[in-house]
Amino acid sequence: MNIVTREGAVTVSGPAVPARRRRLATRIWSERWAYVFLLPTLLLFGLYTVWPIISSLFYSMLDWNGLGAERSFVGLANYREALADPLFWKSLGITLVIIAVTVPVRVGLGLLVALVLNNPRLPLAKLFRTALFVPVVTTTAIIGVVMGFIFDPAGGPVNQLLLDLGIVDQPVDFLGDPGSSLWTVMGVHMWKWLGITLVYWLAALQTIPATVYEAARTDGAGGWASLRYVTLPMLKPFLLIIVLLTAIETMQIFDLVLTMTNGGPYFSTLTSEVYIYQQAFASSTPRLGYGAALGVLFGLVTLAFTAIQAIGIRYANRARSTS
Amino acid sequence: MTTFGRRRFLGLSGAALAAALGVAGCTRTSQKEAATAAGGDVIRWWDHFQPLQPLNERIFAEYGRAHPGVRVEHEVYNPNEMGQALQLAFKSNQIADVHSIAGMGTSEAALVADGWFSPLAGQDAIRANLPADSLLEGLHVFDGKLHTFPLFSSRQYATLNWFNRELVEKAGGDPDKGPATWDAFRSLAARITKAGGGRAYGWIQGLQFHERLQTHVTELAMSAGAPLAMAGASGMGLVDPKTGEYAYASDPFVHALEFLLSLVRDKVVFPASTSLDARTARARWATGVAGMFFDGSWNVGVVNGQFKQFIDKVGVGSIPSPEGEPVLYGAPAPGQLFVSSQSEHVEVASDLLARLTSPEYHKGLATFMDQVPLDLDAVATADVHPTYKRAVELFGQTVRLAPSPVARNSAVAQVLSEMKQPRPTLGEITQGILSGEVTDIRKALREHTGKLTAERERATRVVSGKGVKVSLDDWKFANWQPGEDYTAKMYQAS
Repeated sequence: MNIVTREGAVTVSGPAVPARRRRLATRIWSERWAYVFLLPTLLLFGLYTVWPIISSLFYSMLDWNGLGAERSFVGLANYREALADPLFWKSLGITLVIIAVTVPVRVGLGLLVALVLNNPRLPLAKLFRTALFVPVVTTTAIIGVVMGFIFDPAGGPVNQLLLDLGIVDQPVDFLGDPGSSLWTVMGVHMWKWLGITLVYWLAALQTIPATVYEAARTDGAGGWASLRYVTLPMLKPFLLIIVLLTAIETMQIFDLVLTMTNGGPYFSTLTSEVYIYQQAFASSTPRLGYGAALGVLFGLVTLAFTAIQAIGIRYANRARSTS
Repeated sequence: MTTFGRRRFLGLSGAALAAALGVAGCTRTSQKEAATAAGGDVIRWWDHFQPLQPLNERIFAEYGRAHPGVRVEHEVYNPNEMGQALQLAFKSNQIADVHSIAGMGTSEAALVADGWFSPLAGQDAIRANLPADSLLEGLHVFDGKLHTFPLFSSRQYATLNWFNRELVEKAGGDPDKGPATWDAFRSLAARITKAGGGRAYGWIQGLQFHERLQTHVTELAMSAGAPLAMAGASGMGLVDPKTGEYAYASDPFVHALEFLLSLVRDKVVFPASTSLDARTARARWATGVAGMFFDGSWNVGVVNGQFKQFIDKVGVGSIPSPEGEPVLYGAPAPGQLFVSSQSEHVEVASDLLARLTSPEYHKGLATFMDQVPLDLDAVATADVHPTYKRAVELFGQTVRLAPSPVARNSAVAQVLSEMKQPRPTLGEITQGILSGEVTDIRKALREHTGKLTAERERATRVVSGKGVKVSLDDWKFANWQPGEDYTAKMYQAS
């Protein structure tokens, strides 16, 4: 059998499949160093990402406390229990509330600050950028513990300030009152991660060619018109990506919540990750199998966001190429 | 000049990677081996007995002198965090040779069934030092093999009312006894708060530590008349001995929660209590920001060790109760320390543990003022703070031995280990009530009771389905009398 290329030239004779395999093998061999260098990443990805996912799927079908050897296969029973578990839905709801509140604020505020800091004539712009990025690189657990002191109703600086200014006449239990704890955690989360959203926007702003602004100026556009008719339209393709990246990051708010409130008081800050952790490891009667099932369900939610992100990237690329 | 070509670079990189992997792979083994090589047998010991740290370390040092080459690495955990540390360490095969099980909640029997512990070596010598009726199958002995033993007495509770004598006196209270009734407690807390003018509050508690909060509620309910039989440390083992049913929806529990809620409504609770656990609450209390604090007998031991400047202000009174004459029930004293199944030093660890059964150690226990030692005579002769002696007196007056379903039929422990803790737990419900999230106390308790009852029935069916002889009748004690000790003889008659 002859293989004919699209151009019509006969290139290879003999059976089709072995020839294709030979070609693939030749290509792999010719790019062998690329694969060698990829190997460590693939190995680590397999060990720390793929394998835990497969293990979680397996564990999620076990009735197992994770402590002893005794475990029994229960099929989908853990999933059925999770879907009927009010605390699972509550934790998912809280996670979604955190996303719904903090993502728009982070994205909007990040854009605003990026526009200000992107101005080359702004003095000390680098200092401000660094200052806003410092919380990002500070260990979250340390921030969580320190915030406990800062918001302490008995002598914490925030309450002291509010009392001194006469804004309140009784200390506010920011982290101990279910009505305020979630808002407090969200506030700290936004402060900590604003810097990373700012960096996304600054990177997006760098993609706008200076010539476009020059052309706009030549056409008589002022600052506001440049922003409205040049900057914002050209940033539009990035918006979806930044929103989705920020949303996915926000789903992983585990360490901050754990150190600030541990999901309390009375489940008011119980995010999905904290609930999974509590069920699998931190309960007085741990249930690793059930925790794994909760993890798989939460993973599906994250996957949905990731799928939206992939679609968003495609949309953004298309929009960029047409613009 | 030496050239550094691609092949050489790759070769060196490969060798470095192999070496790194080799080192990583050997780390766990080498930690133990290096420790052993450096100083013979190294026994790793984790517990949560902070006041006993100097005593235990003295025992370890003495043992090391008597057995050159044996060294103990001792770590004292916060009980609020220890359960997580144990679970992670057990799973990664890095658990200590000897450890306590604070924060685990799971019954001893379940952990034994899951292969956590080794039977103790040299059992006869340990048994010989302990009162015969202090060791029970299903609690300390499993399949005839001794796994642990009690260090502390059954006659104690964790809701003594510790108070700041200075603040109590300033508020017109009795600095020697403290308030006896709930009403007196409430009134005194209000007066302390008023006199404090925003700098001191009536009551402080670690409300974030919901397991301990559950203990306080249970004990306050007992002080209000709740009768309880006790199996295991978790709330899944507490029932009315007459009926064998869970008693959480009964009036004493409702009243206990209403009492705590009244303190919140009166605004006499130290504001940051919701973010504190037992240790941080105690540390704040010792700075004089609150008048009263519920804790066990070990409180004065910790204050003596860590907040010495505060020790002269410490007073103690009985758990407050509706009428001022509380009766509480104490479960058979559980074992505190176990030798891990992962230990390579079972004999040495057991030998070391055996030292904790000596009269000298029990005298030391009293001296360092932790939980009340099994040998109560040790307290009488020890040089301890007056509040510790007073605490032991109060325990003697108020605590009766509760019947234990596990002591009657050790298979009940299997039911407990099969049970899954329904959530919210009593401690979490209490947090909800105190924070205003749960408004109908009785309804919340009824739902909790219903979940526990259904879960116990399911677990009993599962265990008895395996051919084990166990039933719900094992939880009933028809011959139990309120206010009386449930003695070993009564198990035989029941």
